[in-house]
Amino acid sequence: MKSGKEKRPAGQKQYYRRKKVCKFCVERIDVINYKDVKLLSQFVPERAKIMPRRISGVCSRHQRQLNDAIKKARNIALLSFATE
Amino acid sequence: MRNYEIMFIVNPTVAEEEIDKINTQIEGVVTSGGGAIEKIEKMGKRRLAYEIDKHREGYYVLFVIAANGDIVKECERRLRVMDPVIKYITVRTDEEARRLEKIRNYRQKRAARRNTGAKAAPAQSIEEAMQ
Repeated sequence: MKSGKEKRPAGQKQYYRRKKVCKFCVERIDVINYKDVKLLSQFVPERAKIMPRRISGVCSRHQRQLNDAIKKARNIALLSFATE
Repeated sequence: MRNYEIMFIVNPTVAEEEIDKINTQIEGVVTSGGGAIEKIEKMGKRRLAYEIDKHREGYYVLFVIAANGDIVKECERRLRVMDPVIKYITVRTDEEARRLEKIRNYRQKRAARRNTGAKAAPAQSIEEAMQ
């Protein structure tokens, strides 16, 4: 099989997209706790929206757990719903 | 019996004794209903992420209990009635804990299998070398 590298015409710039990996799978974080503000706040950028999977690279299972945790944390005022 | 975490925020201006009073009251509700308190944690004053009833700060308290639904219902009712309590949340934790245990078990088993496999592999290669 030909690799993409050979096919590319000479002189064209190559992009290496770094493979995104799920933080929770890699670090073996089994439970995403809503009290762990430090961890959760990594996935809520300035606007306090939940970071989409295509950007963070979190796998679908963990994204679901993460969403639940963030929403619980918001409920009890550990995280904000929106920045004022 | 199920495991729950009840977390609530108390008005930070009230005295420490008042918070203890609330805690003993909730404790009473749980124990008299046949539940068990696993942990009471006073997490202390924290800034709230958003304003609740004009409060910017709150005193967080966490209860970890084993109880049934009726007890939780009663606790929530009490918390709702109490004036210094700003907000509360109840989270069920036993399902999550069970899932975690399952994962741990699986992982241990796999690690054990891998260890035995690693031991077996060199032995085989020695045999091959002898032949």
